[in-house]
Amino acid sequence: MRSRSARKQFNPLVYILLAPTAIFVAVFTVWPVLLSLYQSFFLQRMNIVRFREPTFIGLGNYITLFTDQYFLQVIKNTFSYIIGTVPISILLGFLFALLVNRKLRGIGLFRLAFFHPMVLPMVSAATIWLFFFTPDYGLFNTALGFLGYSGSENWTGNPNLALLSVIIVAIWKNSGYYMIFYLAGIQNLPSDVYEAAALDGANGWQVLWRITFPLLRRTTVFITTIAFIDAFRTVDHIFVLTGGGPSRSSTVLLFELWQQRFEYQNIGISAAITVIFVIILLAFTITNFIVSERKEG
Amino acid sequence: MRTKKSYFVILGVLLISLLAACSTTTPNQPVVQDQPDPVEETTSSEEVVSGEDTASVEETEMDPVTIQVFYPIAVDAPITDVLNGYIADFQAEYPYITVEPVFSGGYADVQTAIQTTIDGGGQPPAMAVMLATALYDLINADYIVPMDGYINNMEDGNAYINDFLPAFLENSYYDDQLWSIPFQRSAVVLYYNVDMFNEAGIAVPNSWQSWAEAAQALTVNNGDSTNWGLQFSSDWPYWLFQPLAIGAGQNIFIDDCHVAFDDPAVIDAVQFYIDLSAEYGAMPAGVQANWATSATDFASGTTAMVAHSSGSLTSILNQAEFEVGVMPYPGKEADTYASVPGGGNFYILNGAPQEQQDAAWKFIEFLSRPEYVADYSIQTGYIANRFSAYETNVMQTYVNDVPQALATRDALQYAGAELALQNLGQVRGIFHDYIQRAINGEMSAADAMTAAQSEAEAALVDFCP
Amino acid sequence: MNAKNHNSTRFLKKLGSGVITFITAGMALFWSIPIVWALIASFRPANDAINRGDVWFSSSLSVENYIRAWSLAPFGQYYINTVIIVLMILAVQLVTIVLAGFVFANYKFFGKRWLFFFILLQMMIPTSALLAPNFATIRWLGIFDTRLAIAIPYFGSAFGTFLMRQAFLEVPRDLVDAGIMDGCTWWQLILNVYLPPSVPALVAFGLSSATWHWNEFLWPLIITNSDKSRPLTAGLVRFTQLGEIGAQWALLSAATLMVIAPLFIMFLIFQKRFIQSFLHSGLK
Repeated sequence: MRSRSARKQFNPLVYILLAPTAIFVAVFTVWPVLLSLYQSFFLQRMNIVRFREPTFIGLGNYITLFTDQYFLQVIKNTFSYIIGTVPISILLGFLFALLVNRKLRGIGLFRLAFFHPMVLPMVSAATIWLFFFTPDYGLFNTALGFLGYSGSENWTGNPNLALLSVIIVAIWKNSGYYMIFYLAGIQNLPSDVYEAAALDGANGWQVLWRITFPLLRRTTVFITTIAFIDAFRTVDHIFVLTGGGPSRSSTVLLFELWQQRFEYQNIGISAAITVIFVIILLAFTITNFIVSERKEG
Repeated sequence: MRTKKSYFVILGVLLISLLAACSTTTPNQPVVQDQPDPVEETTSSEEVVSGEDTASVEETEMDPVTIQVFYPIAVDAPITDVLNGYIADFQAEYPYITVEPVFSGGYADVQTAIQTTIDGGGQPPAMAVMLATALYDLINADYIVPMDGYINNMEDGNAYINDFLPAFLENSYYDDQLWSIPFQRSAVVLYYNVDMFNEAGIAVPNSWQSWAEAAQALTVNNGDSTNWGLQFSSDWPYWLFQPLAIGAGQNIFIDDCHVAFDDPAVIDAVQFYIDLSAEYGAMPAGVQANWATSATDFASGTTAMVAHSSGSLTSILNQAEFEVGVMPYPGKEADTYASVPGGGNFYILNGAPQEQQDAAWKFIEFLSRPEYVADYSIQTGYIANRFSAYETNVMQTYVNDVPQALATRDALQYAGAELALQNLGQVRGIFHDYIQRAINGEMSAADAMTAAQSEAEAALVDFCP
Repeated sequence: MNAKNHNSTRFLKKLGSGVITFITAGMALFWSIPIVWALIASFRPANDAINRGDVWFSSSLSVENYIRAWSLAPFGQYYINTVIIVLMILAVQLVTIVLAGFVFANYKFFGKRWLFFFILLQMMIPTSALLAPNFATIRWLGIFDTRLAIAIPYFGSAFGTFLMRQAFLEVPRDLVDAGIMDGCTWWQLILNVYLPPSVPALVAFGLSSATWHWNEFLWPLIITNSDKSRPLTAGLVRFTQLGEIGAQWALLSAATLMVIAPLFIMFLIFQKRFIQSFLHSGLK
């Protein structure tokens, strides 16, 4: 495949054709990163008249952030949120894929049931779930009671549960999406491997763990990447469900960024948060890339 | 799986537009160019309509002026329809002015919208309805202009201003200037189920003690669910909490640069809130995200008392099948009471041209007429904000039917100022953070309020040199 | 393909197909409760408020909530805005990704690796993370509070470029060479050789792009402040913040369903295609 394009002389056409994409990426991805980096070294707060003009303060904004208990809690919340959503929704996606990967009348309906949350706007999903978390009305608690749980009712008001309620909605919404990718992966698996395994008398679990799961490794890496990025960039449901509370227990990085920039009008701090955000994202994707490439080789 | 035709149904137009020469597939092209047009037409036809509106004012000598009004919807009432009716009346009287109402969401949305408009390099609307408490933020950002000039130009400006209920002007003044005019105002009140009180033979509470005991006595546990004696939402706690602090003798703030979070009276009030569930078992424990459901529970008779906005009166009365009582919170000492106002005022925006600001003032003055104040109160459930409004016939008929509407007004005589100070968003956030920790039992009331005090002071330093 | 299905799920079948079906049905039901509840609640008459223990069917059905939701906010305008935004993004993206994908699949040139990496940066740093500086850019461009402002950051798509490159690489080289022999210019190569077999990939991308932008919330929330440009999602959130009164669940459900409806109905009709296009999109 690699040798397919023989023409490697200078050809202005390719740059012209690439220009639209490259320009949009430059203007809306690269430039904003550079701008944030620059602004993050300045004190600038739009809601205080004398701080409206930027003043250079070096690493001041970063020092402020990393000595602020509250910001450290936001970082912690962010990682709790990611750890809470990513593995479980991927596992559920895999489970759903196994469950619906069958020839059965009406199986489409089941796929639909698992997949449909993906086409709902997150704000709509959260609006519906808000009701389910309401104390005393208790649809969610009733369901949990059915499963034997009789603990706290007060989901979005309890600092230990607020983040969890946000996580639950994310899992509900995303699992079906990941199911689709696994379904695609499973249906593309080579059948001869399974025939061989069957001849060897491997049982179901062995087949699942020794063959299916390893063969789907690339799918899993891919899903992990998008799940991770998705966990970082989706805060819509937090707006609806908890507003980041109580006691800021469900505030994650992007929500904090929004609040600093558009509520507190603090340009310097929000730029610094943007930079930290970008660094975390790059660190993750690059690590992920290296890990998957190495195992590949 | 080659069902290309249906793919084309979905992407249709877009794909076809990509196809060009070299061989076969081009005959569909003309269809493409028709497609975007209908949309374009809709937009442009709207513009034509508004153009005609402005054109219809030839006979006046004033130059035509169009003003935008950003407003929120914060109560369950057809605010948009009501406002459109007033605007029609107004434009009939002032044909050279065109008012464009712009519904912008909740209060926070209106303020963010104006911030981002100015931030985004645009021209703000001439006027907006924003929270009375947004005063300092708006002044600091230089978004609003004072209205004293307009008041002084009135025949009797003092009479105009003094006609407003004084509690509603608490957050209108700064630096001896008047920055806003009350519009849709409410108050924190305590709703109680009169029938339940009568059946149990309990008197209406007049102190914390009797309040807590009544709530305890009216709490009924029926196995899997509890009918609470009192519900008191705390997911956005400062507002409903303030009358507790005021009732203990100290509001939670002193002025625009000083908070009183760690005042013993405030700590006392936090402790009382906690005790209502911890000691008396009269309220669900922990932070309650039940602003929405507490009112419904009260109206359906499963809760004996609820702390809520006077703005919920109409919807509670519509649902309730019992006699609804309305009163201010009982204070700590016997026969003391407390409340706090809320809601939105009119502001005139700084970035708008002078003639728009002047037109905006005309509109504000128009909506302050007693008959409109009365009508707005009746239609929306807000408290009529001027004394003269209560003398109108419509209002007198209304309070005859709904005496509770007077009770909400009367609660205001016990009101302190709603939390309004510099750097409001952050300071309020700090207060919320710590009071919720106290309510959830993560910190003691005293520790939480002490920590809140020092964080709030730090957050105010930059604003209060 | 069916043979593969058969193999991968053989162990499940041993457990008993019935049990599995039962479990699947149970989970599917559980997963559907929210949407089903919203549907039911939205038809409750407004004078029969949802109370504790009484949250499902009312004695009668009513479309009152839909009418009220429609009257409380200009949903018609929101629909138009959302549709225009989604189509605008899609239209531009299809051009940019096809061109870029074509270049990366068909040519070797100086800086190819770097340019590819440069574009992939967009996949690593989602636009949402950059909303503060992008807000500044929009202000500088002078297009604040327009539909274009909502759409423009998405005009170039790294994911799309990547997807189209993959799809184009699958096109047999012989076909391309034959096209060149016939004297096709570059755009004729794209239209007649590369695109026809790549339609499924394009559709897959189109569907996910449309879904994503239909549902997007935070960026439109920030960059719009009037109904003339505000999309459905940002419009809906106003309902959840009805300030001083309690949220009205029936009304909220109705508003929510109105927001969901068009895309969801499309999804129901084209469900197979929807899912198959994902299965098809070269994720092997």
